[in-house]
Amino acid sequence: MNPAASVLLLTTLTGFAYGLLAWIGGFAAAGVPPRSPGFAVVGVVIALMAASAGLFASMWHLGRKERAWRAFSQWRSSWLSREGVAAVLVYPIAAGFAAAAWFDFGGTAMRALGALTAVASLATVYCTAMIYASLKPIRQWHNPHTATDYLIFAIYSGAALYATLHALAFGHARRAAAITAAAAVIAWFAKQAYWRYVDGQTPLATLAAAIGLPESIEARPLDSPHFTENYILREMGFRVARRHAAKLRRLTLLIAFLLPFGFSMIASLTPWSLVACTLALAFAAVGMFVERWLFFAEATHVSALYYGRTI
Amino acid sequence: MTMLPRSTPGSRKLGLVIDLDTCVGCHACAVNCKEWNTGGEKGVLPDYDKYGGQPDGVWFNRIHSYETTESGCSRTVNFPRSCLHCENPLCVTVCPTGASYKRADDGIVLVDTDLCIGCKLCSWACPYGAREFDEDEGVMRKCTLCVDRIYDESLPEAEREPACVATCPARARHFGDLGDPESEVSKLVAERGGRELLGELGYRPTNRYLPPRRATIAAAPLEAPAQTGRGIGAALLGLLDRALSR
Repeated sequence: MNPAASVLLLTTLTGFAYGLLAWIGGFAAAGVPPRSPGFAVVGVVIALMAASAGLFASMWHLGRKERAWRAFSQWRSSWLSREGVAAVLVYPIAAGFAAAAWFDFGGTAMRALGALTAVASLATVYCTAMIYASLKPIRQWHNPHTATDYLIFAIYSGAALYATLHALAFGHARRAAAITAAAAVIAWFAKQAYWRYVDGQTPLATLAAAIGLPESIEARPLDSPHFTENYILREMGFRVARRHAAKLRRLTLLIAFLLPFGFSMIASLTPWSLVACTLALAFAAVGMFVERWLFFAEATHVSALYYGRTI
Repeated sequence: MTMLPRSTPGSRKLGLVIDLDTCVGCHACAVNCKEWNTGGEKGVLPDYDKYGGQPDGVWFNRIHSYETTESGCSRTVNFPRSCLHCENPLCVTVCPTGASYKRADDGIVLVDTDLCIGCKLCSWACPYGAREFDEDEGVMRKCTLCVDRIYDESLPEAEREPACVATCPARARHFGDLGDPESEVSKLVAERGGRELLGELGYRPTNRYLPPRRATIAAAPLEAPAQTGRGIGAALLGLLDRALSR
């Protein structure tokens, strides 16, 4: 599948944003209120800004941006519509939580609004993931790994952002950085499990089945309908060389998970938490972008079969 | 509305039956489709770089040719590919705006280009590659089953069929109600073992493809083995055969 920059930005930025909200809200829900009201408010503002940037980026790839509001209408059947509705609902909920923190509403209100913020944020990430996971023609997406991984990566990248903000605000991030390091390990295993799964898959169909012939018949392309690229080939026929993919997978493991793990450990155990947290965040951001690029580039679509591509 | 209409037994399911045995791969259906739909009420079907080196554009119908091999015999199978007007079209349910819809009364899947935001998700959801994006208008386009022809009462009744069907010189394309088991197209499907494409994916396409008939020729091999026998004549013939077949 064509890895369009707008969609890569949307899914990575919202991962960081909603992950951060999940942590801030989650801590409050668990009865650990923000260390200062200002920290909660700044965290919510940064998260909502990052989420907005991602949502705006996703609008670049719309053919008719001025009609984007129509996308909120079909939530009964469409995960894309549900994502839009959930993303919009996060704003008032998170704002309510920030207000509760700022005006010190106290125990129950903070807990309830924190829990709501975390749930709404992760629900939005889940809707985003399900857009991809619900597409039957793409075997690399239509499986239980997709939604699980999106949630794990959002929680991981949110932790990296939370730790950095914590270090910035209070000069240390011992526990937050330790959580980030643990999340990096979980994310590492999740990605490895995903690759093992997709590498073991068999193609969804053969060319013979795609043109309605019995499997016993062997088919191969003779004449193409057209001799230049068309929309289907550009969008669905994107190919990444196996050699490059292997290299990018190693690079993903290194930049997205291993380096942030190392820097988070340093942040947790040494006094240089701000520098180490910032480096962990920077590598996680670049790494998650590469990871997302591969998630698209390595995905194959059944319709490319008609053009003799392997899927 | 992107919720699917309830499918009731006996409801009309308009669609195509395409005969892969008689299709000659002439692309006339694709050309006439383009011609009809580029003048349709939804405006032109765009072409980009039409006189340049990389011509490209939106077509509702694409004709592939394949070489198939069965027990050592190979043949050409021409395969016209277009929207199959599925009963369970994921392209409709994924649409966030309600631009994509399936009509309850005849099963035709359409895009309302006035509502489409051009997110392209429907094209990702279609395993048949039937939807193509209109870069000029920023909206998705697809086969309409010539909905502006088949119900046009100003046309003579015989012409109220999709442009691709009307033009096919090999009569390889048939149009009708596949929900009615007594219709001509349903009978054709029953008689010829019409097949649905990628049934295991669960889209339940309406269109059917009639498989090529068996094409094996029961003939003796052209090169008969040399006669074996006794005597100098048979020996010389055997020698000649070995020399020639080297």
